Amino acid sequence: MNKESFIECERKRLNKIVSFRLPHSFMKIGIAIAAISIVAMFGRAFFMEGDTEWLKELAKKGLLIGMLIMSVSKDKEEDEMTNNLRMQSYTIAFVIGVVYALVMPYVDYGVSNVMKPEAETLKDLGDFQVLLFMLMIQLMFYHTLKRNR
Amino acid sequence: MTNRIKVERAILDLTQDDLAKKIGVSRQTINSIEANRYVPSTVLALKLSAVFQKPVNDFFELIEDD
Repeated sequence: MNKESFIECERKRLNKIVSFRLPHSFMKIGIAIAAISIVAMFGRAFFMEGDTEWLKELAKKGLLIGMLIMSVSKDKEEDEMTNNLRMQSYTIAFVIGVVYALVMPYVDYGVSNVMKPEAETLKDLGDFQVLLFMLMIQLMFYHTLKRNR
Repeated sequence: MTNRIKVERAILDLTQDDLAKKIGVSRQTINSIEANRYVPSTVLALKLSAVFQKPVNDFFELIEDD
């Protein structure tokens, strides 16, 4: 394989990854998984007793998977403009997500110190909180951009 | 960039929906292009050119800011 064909092969593979989308029917599956996960979280918090840590972790993973499926599912009418808006929403979500991950621990720390007299230590955000926030921002911006196109 | 897509569409007596179906995009995309909120790709511009049977320059025009 010469250099040009190797670069061409790599480019095609990258394009395939970048343009990967699930069919539109997956949107409903994503919504269902996310909804079930939210219901499970509430159910665990208000109606269940005992060791239900496994359910909490399962619901967290389920919510992230459901929202990811929603995020990468095609629209009913997918075209170059919706692709463009989707890319814009990923960019915005990434930037806001990084700022959130950097700033939020200090906000938490400040608020908890104001509310409680005993000082609390500075804690980083967990992966679930950051990923959930980024997915929420992406979906929200994508639908807002689409509504205002 | 400005465009005369609305005029060209009227000449052919096409609705936004008709034109959208002909070039395989959504009606909202045609609406955004007509309102100069979205600049289409070369592929889409050439598809429009094929529908209107005119060169792209006849219905897309650069403005000073471009």
